[in-house]
Amino acid sequence: MNAPVRMAGVGIVRGPGGRPGEPGGHASRLAATLATLTRTGPPIRLAHPIEEVAVLAVHEALSRSGIPMPYQSDDLGVVLGVEEGIDGIKARYYQGVLAEGPLGASPLTFPLTTPNTIAARISVLFGLRGETLTVGGGNVAGAQALGLAVRALRDGYSALTLAGGVTCVEQEFLEAASLVGRSESGQPGGGACLFLLGLQGSASPAGGDRLLGYGEGFGPSDVQDAIRACLEDAGVPARAVGAVRTAAVCDWRSVVQAVRGAGIGVDIARSPSSGLCSASFPLAVAEAAGQPASGTRVPVLVVGSDCLAGAAAAVVQGGQ
Amino acid sequence: MAVPEGVVVTGLGILSPLNPEGDRERFWTSLCAGEAAVGEVRSFDASGYPYRVAAEVPRDRLRRSGSQDAPALRMAEAAFDRALEHAGIAPGTGNPRRAGIVVGTVMGGTIAGERYLRGECAGEGEAAGALENYPLRAIAAGLARKTGFAGPVLTVSTACASGTDAIGIASRRIASGKADLLVAGGVDAVCEFSFSGFSALKVMTADKVRPFSRNRTGLALGEGAAFLVLEREGSARRRGAVMLGRIAGYASRCDAVHLTAPHREGRGLAAAAAAALCDGRCRPEEIDYVSAHGTGTLYNDWMETKAIKAALGSHARRVAVSSVKGAVGHPFGAAGAIEAVVCLLAIRDGLVPPTVHLEEPDPECDLDFVPNRARPMAVRSALSLSAGFGGQNAALLIRWAES
Repeated sequence: MNAPVRMAGVGIVRGPGGRPGEPGGHASRLAATLATLTRTGPPIRLAHPIEEVAVLAVHEALSRSGIPMPYQSDDLGVVLGVEEGIDGIKARYYQGVLAEGPLGASPLTFPLTTPNTIAARISVLFGLRGETLTVGGGNVAGAQALGLAVRALRDGYSALTLAGGVTCVEQEFLEAASLVGRSESGQPGGGACLFLLGLQGSASPAGGDRLLGYGEGFGPSDVQDAIRACLEDAGVPARAVGAVRTAAVCDWRSVVQAVRGAGIGVDIARSPSSGLCSASFPLAVAEAAGQPASGTRVPVLVVGSDCLAGAAAAVVQGGQ
Repeated sequence: MAVPEGVVVTGLGILSPLNPEGDRERFWTSLCAGEAAVGEVRSFDASGYPYRVAAEVPRDRLRRSGSQDAPALRMAEAAFDRALEHAGIAPGTGNPRRAGIVVGTVMGGTIAGERYLRGECAGEGEAAGALENYPLRAIAAGLARKTGFAGPVLTVSTACASGTDAIGIASRRIASGKADLLVAGGVDAVCEFSFSGFSALKVMTADKVRPFSRNRTGLALGEGAAFLVLEREGSARRRGAVMLGRIAGYASRCDAVHLTAPHREGRGLAAAAAAALCDGRCRPEEIDYVSAHGTGTLYNDWMETKAIKAALGSHARRVAVSSVKGAVGHPFGAAGAIEAVVCLLAIRDGLVPPTVHLEEPDPECDLDFVPNRARPMAVRSALSLSAGFGGQNAALLIRWAES
């Protein structure tokens, strides 16, 4: 059993997907947030809805944790799961090159095609100078980000970390995903979920929800391995799991089999956010922490999987 | 908290424009001889661009073993296989759940995406094949499937610091006992997508890359892959493996000032370097060699010089610093991993590779940049620095290990 990690604050933003210039549904909130963050500098205009949901989620997580903004210190960084969320930006950038040759290459859009741009935008706006990482793991990108953050905290490399996932699922991505028979197919949409994480009992800001354990797996028994590793990490026996919630998964049946095979007999609920790929796992974690099973705060197992990147599982317990 | 001294490198594999066949000794000999592989772009038609040079691995060497959609995966496979072979690890040995892969990449399978968007895929089957190779995570997944590794399989994308971060993350995972064997490194391939972007940003050279030089003209894209086999020292000793060095410290820091430009004073890079030294309980004066990010752009060269001075203090003027990007270009996600290999080989052979094309030093870059000729010298501790878009900075402390 390893030390539980406190989820001191969470920021959740769900919104329509969309392209630059299309209303993201958060206009007034976003304007107020940006005005607060840039009151001493030049105004900032975000270029894509994925940046909008990320910035709003970070603002919410830090606000709930009582962290001053902008923070301007290197003891707080961000670990972010990002993958399909920038595919639309990349496609439109390259279509410009195809249409007009070198003149169609936009120097403004090109920097947004690198996966770490969202983390960079967050770091610049919020003054987060600590360890900053971006991981690409498809459906489990947000899970892997949480896993990296949990390990960095437990191993003493950071005292506080923002971690989670962000996405903007566009129509073109869904079409391409369906072409290769992936399970991501759903509705276009955007979303972000980030947690401010700190070690239980450390000087981290107060908050009752806890991430008790995390595990990953890869290969033919990826989900089984992730669940086993996660329960072991949390020190929670299978019989103590009070509920199971799935994020985006590659193969629903293998998840059900793995859960039952682990000796967990409780109901398995699908997260309503499972279409939000990279953000789906953190969103499912937030849902699990916020919705007590059977009226009591019992450990909830969250499971996600990706057809390429393997599986991830976490055990979460909501605050008393 | 420090990475314990116990994380060692027991194998390395590298494929670059200097050694397209993947022969690491050829890479090292060519690099130390001052050879440069930057030349006319051949992997796509660059005739419409104002800049037309890059450092490439001839594609015909890669097609022999795979599809044209996935040169990055083919390069990664070549370097990965050689790293395992060098470490003396046969596929299928050990507990697969305790073995894994951490890959740093920026572009991933973008070349497959280009082909899809160009409408070059004949039919849905071919389009599906291209899209299978496209995702960032496809490379790590492909390597893991091939080897049967079932432990951590991670893809890190932190711009030009990706390879360094991948190795750093893997070394922590080994140190904490969460894995027994990790193969970590980076890969990226030259493609029109990235070439057009850097062309639009006007940061590329039209001829040579001249890091730290007054007559610098910018960077050249490069490509390649490099992987290190990491394990705990005890495990390496038990199986009689040769230890090539230790990953003794690692840190990542963000500038938090701009999406593309670095902090002018090198604040983030200095902080990462200082934190990596602290992580490895290493004093600045113990550093013999710094493998610089050294892209050959004005802002990078100036800020990096300042960062090294800030991190090493007065010792900065005594330490040997060199950049290999004049020789191999800038291979993005592979850069940090290639430079980690350079540090390990410098430690092994007591030889520091040169900064090529450094005829006219920039007065603002007033450190010992080992101009044009390799230098024989004992290297027991080396610092490998990486910086990238988004203010990403990472540093690895690599130290000698007694086998």
